[in-house]
Amino acid sequence: MSAYVLEQVFNGLILGSMYALVAIGFSMIYGIVRLINFAHGDIVMVGAFVTLALIAVPGLPFPLIALLVMAAGLILGVLIERAAFRPMRGAPQVTGFIASLAVSILMQNLGVLILTAQPRNFMLPEYLQTIFHLGPLTVRAIDLAILIASVVLMAVLVLMVKRTRLGIAMRATAENIDAARLMGININRVIMFAFAIGSSLAGMAGLMWGGKFGQIDPLLGFVPGLKAFVAAVIGGVGSIPGAMLGGYLLGLAEVLFVGLLPPIYSAYRDAFVFGTLILILLILPNGLLGRSVEERA
Amino acid sequence: MLELDDIHVFLKRTYVLKGISLFVRRGEIVALIGANGAGKSTTLAAISGLRRPRQGRMVFRPEPGGPELDLTKAPAEEIVAAGLSHCPEGRQIFSQLTVKENLRIGAYLRRDQEAVGKDLDWVCRLFPVLAERLGQRAGTLSGGEQMMLAIGRALMSRPKLLLMDEPSLGLAPLIVEQIFEILARLNREGVTLLLVEQNAQLALELAQRAYVLETGRMTLTGTGKELAGNELVQRAYLGAV
Repeated sequence: MSAYVLEQVFNGLILGSMYALVAIGFSMIYGIVRLINFAHGDIVMVGAFVTLALIAVPGLPFPLIALLVMAAGLILGVLIERAAFRPMRGAPQVTGFIASLAVSILMQNLGVLILTAQPRNFMLPEYLQTIFHLGPLTVRAIDLAILIASVVLMAVLVLMVKRTRLGIAMRATAENIDAARLMGININRVIMFAFAIGSSLAGMAGLMWGGKFGQIDPLLGFVPGLKAFVAAVIGGVGSIPGAMLGGYLLGLAEVLFVGLLPPIYSAYRDAFVFGTLILILLILPNGLLGRSVEERA
Repeated sequence: MLELDDIHVFLKRTYVLKGISLFVRRGEIVALIGANGAGKSTTLAAISGLRRPRQGRMVFRPEPGGPELDLTKAPAEEIVAAGLSHCPEGRQIFSQLTVKENLRIGAYLRRDQEAVGKDLDWVCRLFPVLAERLGQRAGTLSGGEQMMLAIGRALMSRPKLLLMDEPSLGLAPLIVEQIFEILARLNREGVTLLLVEQNAQLALELAQRAYVLETGRMTLTGTGKELAGNELVQRAYLGAV
């Protein structure tokens, strides 16, 4: 493989990491409350701006910034769930969906109001901008950090869902809420945790998004939100491994499409992305790793 | 131990329970029989906190002379913690979880990990088929095995009162017999049972007392024998002509 192709693959993996992190939140939340949370992408945006604000604080080490950004995402996610979604528990699915659109629009417009729509430069610390060579690859430190941090976060998440008491409770709740309640599982807490975990990952993705593209604005959450939603659907919405797989596939497909085809096609990248979605859903209506869940009476 | 007094429940806009009263004494097996749609399962769901009654009094006293828990207000997890376990209709095991995870989650609220381990062994002795399949996904079990898992899961919270909903549903007679034997044995070991059953004959054989529920109202009550001998019950539920 030529260095060029390798570089494209690497870029695809980075983009895919970010899609995957956001898609996990979509899938977790949908899996438990059957809610497509369209405000999820805007948490990415908030994560990016919180990062920007924290970088301006002198003497704050970057790893600590990353932790604080995740904490900010977590708090925001929990607040949104409390304020917008909990009061609608038990309402038809469409209600929650529309509420999430409202939250999304609210967050975007608050962002424009407070921060203005002017894009801002996202200044990373020097050492994250260092460029070095990995075999034939030329990479920036931040790109490598994005990849490694994403893999570590996802590994931790998978272990948590698989092994811990809370993880088992989440899987049980996703399958059957009433039966979970009969086990003594506090459903509201499980839902809160799903929002907390998903949103902290989305916040982290915001930091990464800024680091990768170098510019942020209050409307930046729309694209990763939509793409991550597509990734979650491709993977099989409700499935966490599916969200990861979908994220990486989408990231790779998108970058390779632009990178390997003649430049005149690159404007069609989104058409390509959504075309892929339609194609996959035509063949596998439940996504790659999704299961058909029969509706419970 | 358990007392329901004039309980009214609506499901959405349907008036399902129209003033149910019943009681269960410590150590008893009480059966609740009735046709499809009479409100049997709804009664259990109201007791375990899944459906809130519109009106009525409902209390659970886990220890003799101990404090009462108001079941009309307590959240579901508090009811489980107090020692009331509900084995739901249609088993409702978590099919994506392993057998062992299902059993562990039955003990979700318990912090005494050592005792939970012992109870896991106990359930495995009670249902040896489960012991052989601990690592398997619960969805791969047969219907009878799933029923046993559902009972085992309900037992993992160490209930003092067990609500059993339709343990015979869709199972082969031989398996049903096995399950009813286990229920009798659990009762001898000190678990009080409130049993909902469509198979009135089986239920009346096992239970000391029984209630007959008809479209949201209690119509008859008595000992298992009395009801089994009652002409109306015979005609409506026991298939006598």
